[in-house]
Parts: sequence; C-alpha cells; structure tokens
Amino acid sequence: MLEHARRFAPVALRQLALLAAVLVVAGTALFFAVRAIPGDPVSLRLKNPDPVRVAAERARLGLDRPLAVQWWLHQRSFVSGDWGHSLTTGRSVREDFAEFFPATLELAIGGLALGVLVGVATAIGAEVLGAGWLRRFSAVLGTVGLTVPIFWIGLLLLLGGSLLLGWFPSGGRFDLAAVPPPARTGLLTVDALLAGDLAACGVALRHLALPALCLSLYPAAQVCAVLLARLQDPKLRTLVTSLRARGLHPVRIGLRHLSRIVGAPVITVIGSNFGALLGGAVLTETVFSWPGIGRYLVDAVINRDIYVVQNVLLVVLLLVVVVVLAADVLARLAGPAGGRETADGEGDS
Amino acid sequence: MKRGGVLSLVLGGWIVWAIAGLVWTPYDPRATAHLDIAGQGSSAAHWMGVDMLGRDVLSRVWHGSGQTVVLGGAAAAGALALAVLLLVVERRGPRAVRRLVRSLTAAALALPVVFVGMLLLVFLPASPWTLVLACALGGAPFAFRQLRVVWLEQVDALHVTASRALGAGWRHLLVFSLWPNLRPEAAALVRLLFAASVLELSGLSFLGLAGDPDLTELGALLRRHQGELFRQPTLVLWPGLFLSGLLLLVHLTNVRRRARGRGLAG
Repeated sequence: MLEHARRFAPVALRQLALLAAVLVVAGTALFFAVRAIPGDPVSLRLKNPDPVRVAAERARLGLDRPLAVQWWLHQRSFVSGDWGHSLTTGRSVREDFAEFFPATLELAIGGLALGVLVGVATAIGAEVLGAGWLRRFSAVLGTVGLTVPIFWIGLLLLLGGSLLLGWFPSGGRFDLAAVPPPARTGLLTVDALLAGDLAACGVALRHLALPALCLSLYPAAQVCAVLLARLQDPKLRTLVTSLRARGLHPVRIGLRHLSRIVGAPVITVIGSNFGALLGGAVLTETVFSWPGIGRYLVDAVINRDIYVVQNVLLVVLLLVVVVVLAADVLARLAGPAGGRETADGEGDS
Repeated sequence: MKRGGVLSLVLGGWIVWAIAGLVWTPYDPRATAHLDIAGQGSSAAHWMGVDMLGRDVLSRVWHGSGQTVVLGGAAAAGALALAVLLLVVERRGPRAVRRLVRSLTAAALALPVVFVGMLLLVFLPASPWTLVLACALGGAPFAFRQLRVVWLEQVDALHVTASRALGAGWRHLLVFSLWPNLRPEAAALVRLLFAASVLELSGLSFLGLAGDPDLTELGALLRRHQGELFRQPTLVLWPGLFLSGLLLLVHLTNVRRRARGRGLAG
C-alpha cells in the first residue's frame, strides 16, 4: 500500500498542478475573451441604462478597477462559487447550474454505464466465445456508433420507441402529471430509490431509457474497438486458449480474468472520450427535450448570455480535465503494473 | 475494380452529385410553391414528398447535401491548414515553443467542438461560417497530432536518411521520397477530417446555432423537421439517411484502405 502511495503521489501531484494551470489559463482566456466583446455588459444587463445607474453598477461589479484587479476578482469569485447572474433571466448562474447539471449527470452516467457494459460484453464475448454473430455485431456497433450522427439516431429511437411501439415517453425527465420524488441528489432515479418509491423510479427509468441508449452508442463503439484491438495481443490470446483448455467456462474467463486485464484500456477510453460524451449529451438533450446543462448552454449562446456561457463553459472544461486526469491515474493503478494479474496469467494461480 | 476503388468512386460521385445540388435542383429548395399539396408523401412529381410549407423535399435534401459537403470541406481544409501551420511552428520553433504547441494541442483535444462553437458564437455573429471556423479550430489539434505522427515516421525513415546522406536537397526529398509515402496517409487524414467536420458541423446546425433561417444544411433541416417527426417521419428520415450515407461511405473508404495497408504490411 505504501509502495503504491509512493509511486502514485508524484503523478497525482503533477495532475493537480496541471488542473490548477488549466483553471488559471482557461479562466484567463475566458476573462479576456468576454472583455473583448463589443459593447458594455452592464448596459446590456440594465433595462434602463442611464449613466448614473451604469456607473453605480460598474462600481458594484468592480468593472471600474484596473484590469489586473478585475482578473483577480473574477478568479476569486469563480472559485468561491459566485458566478454572477444571467443577463436574460436575472437568475443566479450557480443556482441554474445546480438545477440543470444533475439531469446531464444522470444522462451521462446512464449512457456511459450502458455503453461500457455493451462495449465490454461485446468485445470479450466475441473474443472468448469466438462467435461470428458477435464479431459482426461489434463491426456494426463500431460503424454505427462512430459514423451515424447521434441526433439522427435519437430521432429514430423516438420514432421507434415512442411512436411505433409506444413503450417510452417522447421527452422530458418525468411525467408531467406524476409527482416527482423529493430532491436529494437531483438524480431522479436515485432520489426515487432513496424515497423507496419504485413506481417513480420506473417512470424516471422509462424517461431515461431512450436518451441513455442514444448516448451509449458512441462509448460502446469506442470501448468495443479498443478492447478488440487489445484482445488481439498474442499473449492474451494464449491466455484465453490456455484457460479454455483448462476447462474454464467462457463467462468465468471473461468476468474473472479478462475484465481485470482490460480495465486500464476501458478507463483510458472513458477518460479521453469524456469531452465527446458531454458534447453528445448536449445533442441528446436537444432531441429528447431533456432539461440539462446542454440545453441551458445552447439557450445562453443564442441569447448571448455571456456570464452563463463564460462560467458554465469553464466548469464544463474543468470537469472534462478532472475526468481525464482521474482516468489517467486510475488507468495507471488498474494497469498490469498496478494490478496483480498480467497477460501471462501470473495472477491466476 | 477492387472494392476500395468502387467505394472511392461512389464517394466521389456522391460528392459531385451533392455539389451539383447547389447549382440545380428540380424545384427551388426555399420556395413555398406547393402549398396546395403541403404534407403530401412521395409522388411522381415530388419523389420525396412535400413538406408542411409546400417545399419539395428532394430539392431541399439535395441542396442541403451540397451545403453540407461544401461547409464540411471548408472546415476540414481549415483544420488541415491550421495543423500544417502548427506542425511547421512545432518543428522549426525553439524548444519552449515546441513544448507549448504540444501541450496546448494535447489539452485542446479534450475539448469537444460543440463547446468551441458555443464559445465562438458569443463573440462572432451566428452564421454557418462561424460554425466552419469552430469545426476547423476544434479539428486542428487532432489533425496536428495525426500529421505529426505521419511526418515523424516518414522523415526518419531509412530511405529518407539514405537520400539525405547521398546529398539530396529538401525539394528532391519532398517530391521523390516523402510525398509518395505521405500521400496515402494524407488522403486518409483528409477523408477522416472531412467526415469529422461534417459530423460536428451538422451537430452545431442541429442545435440551431447556424443563425441563417434559410440554411438547408442537413443538420439544420433535421432540426427544422424535428417537430414534424410524428406527423411526417420521412422529413426526418431523408436528410438523416443522406447525412449518414455520406459519413458511412467516408468511413468505409478509410476502413478498406487501412485493411489493405495492414495486408501489405503483413
């Protein structure tokens, strides 16, 4: 344990330093970019911008102070959670973020979990069972997941699952007529479970199913492609052959042995594609009228709501960087050097 | 003819057909000239039917395919140009600049194009060309990485070192040693960038960020027809089929080429 901590402490420290650097660089870039917009944000914000009110508001926001001081105030207020107010609705950006972000998080977790499950199962199944239909399915999954636009897939799913079959609702997070569970985490499925309301959980899951399925195709295709390439390794193939020769059931080989070996590549794929997943979530939210941060951001961009775009984009960027860095550390821990099992099957005795 | 050649031919034909749609379509794609038969399905006069505003769907999809190809092509060209510029700076610049370029592109790789587009649209007017700029900026780090790998592979190859030792100049090296080996890789990269740009651009248009209400780009068409999904599904099916078909063709062309490359190497 101590050995692990000693090995990964420098890596973790380097990642934290990188995170701080990203925060400063991205925050500074966004700060100057917003200042470069023609027009005065205060005049935009005030409905009746007479000079006295504009001057008072500028003083209140610190916009009359030197640029370096403004930059420092901006960084400090961002870190302390004061992200200003929306120019269009007047609501606090942080409150809006807290309201919309759980919906995106629930969608992203659902899509990612489903995608990883399908991708890993397909790749390991195709390799261990050697089934031709699974190989063909993985090829179709790779082609569809990586080439067909996610928003068109979403529209097709709506058409099939909602109009033709009538199994799923056509949009939103919860039935309008139903009473949602009391908010604890903001994730409706989890809140319903915490409240012990299985009916509400079922409603939330029915609403989540199609958007999550739509979002899962890209990570499933990525995970499947990377794992299939990894499992082509002659050492791993020898390991699979020898384990099968020892009479182990294919499911046991997949779950017990291969899942541990492929852990690191899966984590790396998740980390490096998390940004793309969030981009996909924005499109999915638009198709399924999912009230998440993506739709909030799109509305802000269309209305040129600079404080919303500036702060929410910075948070999203930080989130992406945190996930990428965390995935990097986890992949090192889960890799052959960090784990117990190697491709030669040393950990199998 | 081999399958890869047939696929390339079909892709080339598709692109020419799409661009021709910018010059000629059976009907004016924007004119609401058929209000009397609005919402009608396919017929001899209107193969893909007429939308709720009396516009011929085939003309709109054809014109939209042309816009998609041109805008996607422009974004891919922009990304490639930026990548070449970055590569020159990274190869020729001092060590600190090299490291900076590599670090910045590595960080930018994690940022999805959708967010780059959103950021740009706060400062620039909402137009299809702003989306092209966003796609070019978003695609440049990926193109730089790929181009750098290919360039480093080729520039350190044995035959290039031998030619250099024999006194060949840079121009000779580029024309006779580097380019013949770079060409297939560069072509694959261009196809990949084109597909990625078309995908990202149509995504941004689908979000309604293109600004132009008359834009018939396929992503914008899908957004406009989304409301008609349950009443007239073909309005959503046709643009999506054309967009996916184009992307699928590019993908299959690259997959065939890679498979051939592996076969040769093996």
